Amino acid sequence: MEIRFSRDEEAFRAEARAWLEANVPRGQRPPPHDLHARRAYDMAWQRTMFDAGWAGINWPKEFGGRGASLMEQLIWFEEYARVGAPEASTGFVGLKHAGPTLIACGSDAQKAFHLPKILKGEVVWCQGFSEPNAGSDLASLQTRAVIDGDHLVVTGQKIWTSFGHIAEYQELLVRTDPDAPKHKGITWVICPMGLPGMDVRPIKTLAGNADFCEVFYDGVRVPLANVVGRLNDGWRVAMATLSFERGTAFMSEQVRLARRVEEVVALARRVPGPSGHARAIDDDEIARRLALARAEVEAMRAMTYRSLSTAARTGMPGPEGSMIRLFFSELIQRIDQVTMDILGPACLEGFSLDGAPEAGFSERYLTGLSQTIGGGTKEIQRNIVGERVLGLPR
Amino acid sequence: MDLQPGPEQEAIRDAVRTLLAERLPPERVRTVMAADPCLDEGVWRAAGELGWFGLHLPESAGGSGYGVAEAMLLFVELGRALAPGPWLGTVLAARALADTPAHAALLQAVVAGERRVAVVDDPADALGSAGSLRGRAATVLDAGVAHALLVVGARRVAWVDAAAGGVHVASAASMDPTRRVAGIDFADAAATVLAADAAALRRLGTVLAAAEAVGVAERALEASVAYAKVREQFGKPIGTFQAVKHRCADMATRTEAARSATTWAAVALDEGAPDVEFHVHVAKALATTAALVNAHDNVQNHGGMGYTWESDAHLYLKRARVLEHVFGSRTAHLDAIAAPWRAAS
Repeated sequence: MEIRFSRDEEAFRAEARAWLEANVPRGQRPPPHDLHARRAYDMAWQRTMFDAGWAGINWPKEFGGRGASLMEQLIWFEEYARVGAPEASTGFVGLKHAGPTLIACGSDAQKAFHLPKILKGEVVWCQGFSEPNAGSDLASLQTRAVIDGDHLVVTGQKIWTSFGHIAEYQELLVRTDPDAPKHKGITWVICPMGLPGMDVRPIKTLAGNADFCEVFYDGVRVPLANVVGRLNDGWRVAMATLSFERGTAFMSEQVRLARRVEEVVALARRVPGPSGHARAIDDDEIARRLALARAEVEAMRAMTYRSLSTAARTGMPGPEGSMIRLFFSELIQRIDQVTMDILGPACLEGFSLDGAPEAGFSERYLTGLSQTIGGGTKEIQRNIVGERVLGLPR
Repeated sequence: MDLQPGPEQEAIRDAVRTLLAERLPPERVRTVMAADPCLDEGVWRAAGELGWFGLHLPESAGGSGYGVAEAMLLFVELGRALAPGPWLGTVLAARALADTPAHAALLQAVVAGERRVAVVDDPADALGSAGSLRGRAATVLDAGVAHALLVVGARRVAWVDAAAGGVHVASAASMDPTRRVAGIDFADAAATVLAADAAALRRLGTVLAAAEAVGVAERALEASVAYAKVREQFGKPIGTFQAVKHRCADMATRTEAARSATTWAAVALDEGAPDVEFHVHVAKALATTAALVNAHDNVQNHGGMGYTWESDAHLYLKRARVLEHVFGSRTAHLDAIAAPWRAAS
């Protein structure tokens, strides 16, 4: 066993670090509620990475990606987080989900058309998976699509669609065979946004922002050529990238979390403590909660490394990926909670109802509440760990 | 980078696990814990013959030429088996003696399993800092079955024969029936100061205690999962109920975090990483917490059976309680992590 990276990997790290330090955007990133400015900023950064050959770090070279090894991906994401490069936001679904799905299951024409646009930062993708009555139980989705000539005609509703109002394309799951068992009658289709019959409505979150939407479909005609994989095989297509993503999606989070703890420690050294201490860090409870958070961030790093070690040997991340995800989502919330306690009543002023750009710690705390809900609630994650890792009965 | 055991390390782990499963199964542990000495001498001799005490020593010192990573794997297995005996002190003594060329014969005896050593943690040099010890050491594990004591002070490491003049060992039962404790009175007892680095030895001991705790956490998890699959209520296995299933998922996640952090600390020790002290604190704080919480959860998951003496659940819980206090509690390690932050700005 070793923690050290090879000489070649260290050279790769030096190259990545030098490029990132020289090229990471300096200007303030527009806040999420300023959607069009945020989009322009994110897409420009994506283009910068593309021009320098860093876009799609984990995508195969034949599809325009960097084709980096797992270790290089880890190093890239570590360096990326270390310099504070912009977290994937408007580009997330295209780069991390739709793109890899097309690579795995798309036709040659679909790949040739869509993949370069994603890599170059020309398009935003959004996700049309969840529905009001299909959240944790995604496979019970009801949005219907019937074949009419060479089109699918879609009727129904999707929800929790991040950036739906600024996206060009949507990865859309529809029910094409209502008589089949629920996992069998689903189709994965590329839906261009803005087609006649689509209605996109922003949803305001508890944090006051509105970067996600609900989407209504009333007889929306999507070309059959946009089906990815086969008709009624959409569940398999949707799952094709999920298992891999589970193992690698959190590569950079451990660095981001370590930075976050550092920021909160700095805060605790600056502000008074809750019971008369000159500094919050002088309060034993706060100091120990921060120490535990720091220790758990380190454990998450070690878990990530172990998971990647398995993936590097077998080609697939082990089932521990679902544990890393669960651990991460609760850890980040604990960090946000101790931050609120350190801020004391000042946390109330850190939050602005009009969503001002510097809402800072308090905004993080509020938006962080989604961590144990989005992409599978923590209850679903525990079911996955219990059933798929431990083999407990359903 | 590779934080998974390689084929050779897996072979070591499997060999240890197989031997302990055959010769020190739970029934045997129960026999040993009711006996005197509280130790399986046959297993101890076998461990000496197989080189377990010198796994982490260079071949030039009579060891197997492996590192802390392999010793860590050994201690995970010892924790899983709830092995009674002063394993930690003996392995640490081997390390300390290997650093002290003048004691080759003693080293050989320790590595061969002929001399058992209990460890006395004396971080503030309460027993004195030179070659003569005075004072009382409370709650020393397994001193009653040890031939010698390794006193790990702030800066010095000392070896004392348990039978030497001025050393009085008073053994007693402890909460953990598999690990007895002793109060030791030192009255100007003559000690041999070894050339070992006390801080380095304490780091090694802390990581190996963490590893033993990881083993306890693993077994508590496995016991719960096995039971949840077969125990039926309301016509179905209790593992189908989310209250139980989710608790098991948390036990697994906690164990994986502890195992990963402990592996990192062990490998960091082997690599001489500059931030190794931090990783040692992380490992110990998380591993003993995982052992304790899992052991508690395991009692609960077994319901009424978990409350009985017959169930092994209490033995994991009690061993976790022991390990929490070996080389510093969770609180002490968290405070050590926070200490640099709390220094004057």
